[in-house]
Amino acid sequence: MNLILPVIDRKKCTLCRDCIDACGLHALAIQNERVIFIEPDLCNYCADCEGVCAQGAIRVEYEIGW
Amino acid sequence: MKTDLFHDLRRLSSFTNLSADDLKKIAAASINKTIPAGEIILHEGDEAQSAYFVLSGKVEVFRLALSGREQVLALLSAGQGFNTAPFFLEEKHNPASVRTLEQTTVMAIPAMQFLSLLNNIPDFNRIVMRDYSQRLKQLTNKVEDLGLYSVRARLVRFLLEQADQKEIPVRWTQDEIARQIGTVRDVVGRSLRTLEQEGLIQIRRQCIRLLDRLRLEKIANSE
Repeated sequence: MNLILPVIDRKKCTLCRDCIDACGLHALAIQNERVIFIEPDLCNYCADCEGVCAQGAIRVEYEIGW
Repeated sequence: MKTDLFHDLRRLSSFTNLSADDLKKIAAASINKTIPAGEIILHEGDEAQSAYFVLSGKVEVFRLALSGREQVLALLSAGQGFNTAPFFLEEKHNPASVRTLEQTTVMAIPAMQFLSLLNNIPDFNRIVMRDYSQRLKQLTNKVEDLGLYSVRARLVRFLLEQADQKEIPVRWTQDEIARQIGTVRDVVGRSLRTLEQEGLIQIRRQCIRLLDRLRLEKIANSE
């Protein structure tokens, strides 16, 4: 089953590492000059990475329903 | 091309009462532009040069504080207009900024042509008035929300509105929710967690599920 993860917009990302530093679960890293989920299973969708990204490059999305 | 614009206008439900002749006059006076997602169409405070109608896609109308915080005033889709008011005021400035949320095609009518169309095509005048009325109603509701209800109540009202709407569900980030309800992202995050702890919602990956309509409506209407 595909794990739902935050979406990273590569065009907006400046590789500043703020999201990597903010992720308390160490799910993010830079590899081949891209920020990726190096440990996707660790990501708990807390949206801390989205909160620190000054470029708005990370989207943690929710659909709202019953 | 003007022929394309004519056909685009014919497809809009808000323009169905216009005759082919009137549609051709509107198309002849207008320019259509397709704009990628995330781009600013207008900046608040700039000189107002054109009135706009959305032909396809979606835009958000917003105001920006000096702090950088944004307040979304309206989300507009096909058939809805924006920047149609400044030409009746002393200061003809864009009253708000407008940004595309997805790839969007708009029809831009330069100021003089817009006023001329309003004078000469009564049915177009009525379309613009109906658009104003809907906008006024939305803004009145927004003022009520922001002035009379707590952040918690505004968040619950937003969640209920989104859960009950019949269109294709939109995916919201916490920052986008904050900009809609007049707060900041951190407050939305904390408020959502509190609502979850109270058993009112369930937060999962990519999904906020509302659980208790009775209690949620009580919060929405009384705080």
